[in-house]
Amino acid sequence: MSAAELHNNEMIHGYLNDLRRYLSRLAPHETQEVIREIESHLFDVLDQQAANGQAADVAEILRGFGDARQLAALYVAHIEEGAPPPRGFRAIQSVKKSVTASLYFAMAVFGFSMAFGLLFIAGAKFLLPESVGVWSTPHGDSIVVGFVSVPPMATPEVMGWWIVPVATLLAVGVAWLTRKVLLVLKQHM
Amino acid sequence: MNSTEALMEKWEVQLRKGTLELAILAALQQRTLYGLELLKLLQSLPSTTITEGTLYPLLDRLKRDELVDAQWVQEGETRPRKYYQLTPLGNKKLTDLTRLWRQSVSDIEWLLANPGPQPLPNTGV
Repeated sequence: MSAAELHNNEMIHGYLNDLRRYLSRLAPHETQEVIREIESHLFDVLDQQAANGQAADVAEILRGFGDARQLAALYVAHIEEGAPPPRGFRAIQSVKKSVTASLYFAMAVFGFSMAFGLLFIAGAKFLLPESVGVWSTPHGDSIVVGFVSVPPMATPEVMGWWIVPVATLLAVGVAWLTRKVLLVLKQHM
Repeated sequence: MNSTEALMEKWEVQLRKGTLELAILAALQQRTLYGLELLKLLQSLPSTTITEGTLYPLLDRLKRDELVDAQWVQEGETRPRKYYQLTPLGNKKLTDLTRLWRQSVSDIEWLLANPGPQPLPNTGV
C-alpha cells in the first residue's frame, strides 16, 4: 500500500470513528449498519476514481457527507421526534417496571394482611370473647380496637358480638378493594 | 452574489427540499439501486442534485417509515452494497405524491398561461 493510500485510509477511518462516536444514541447494530454503508460508498468511489485514472480525493468525497457530527444528528433526528427508542434505552424502561412490580407486591401484602387481620379478629371473638372488641375510653378521646390480652379497665366495650359480622364484612371489602387496585396496577406493569 | 440571486438560490433550496422525497421514490420506481448509483442518478439531473450527507440519512428515514427496504448484496469480487427498493407502502406514497405534484405543476402552469388584464373565465378575477 502506498503512502497516499495509507493516508486516505487513515482519513476514512478517522471520519468513520468520529461518526460512530456521534451515533452512540442509536442501537449498536444500527450504528454498524450506517458505518458499513458509508464505508462501502467511500471505497467504491475511491475504486472508481482509480479505475478512471483520477487521483483519489478523499477530502472531497468526505465533504459531500459533511461534518460527522451533523451527519450523525440527521440519523439520530428520529429519536427526538418521538419514534420508538432504540434498544439501548430499554434499561430505563426496566427500571420503571421494577418499581411498579415492587409497588404491586407492597400493595398486595398490605391489602391482604389487613383483610386477614380483620378476619382473624372476627374468628378470635369466638375463642376469647373477653379479649376481642372495641373499647372507648370514658372521655371519648381514644378507642382501642381488636385483640388485647388485658381489656382496658373501666371502659365499656362498644360492639359486643357485632364485631364478628362487621370485621368479616370489612375483611371481604378490603380484600376486594386490594384485588381491584392490583388489577389496575397490573395493567401498568 | 446580489440579493436576487440569493433569493433565487433560497427558493431553489426550498423547492429541492420539498420534492426530494418524491425524487427518491421516483428514482426507485421499479428499480433497485444502491446508494452511490442513486446519488449519481440524482446528481445527473439539474434540479435533484443532492449530497451524500443528505441522501443517506434520508434513505435511513424512508426505511424506518417502511417506504423502502434494503438488502446487502455481494456480486462476485465487488464489496457488498446495500440495495434499496420500494415497498408496497412506498409505491402507494409515490402514487399519492405524484398526484399532488402534477396537480401543483398544472395549477401553476395554468396561472402562468393566464396573465391579466383580461378577467379569468371561471373566477371573475
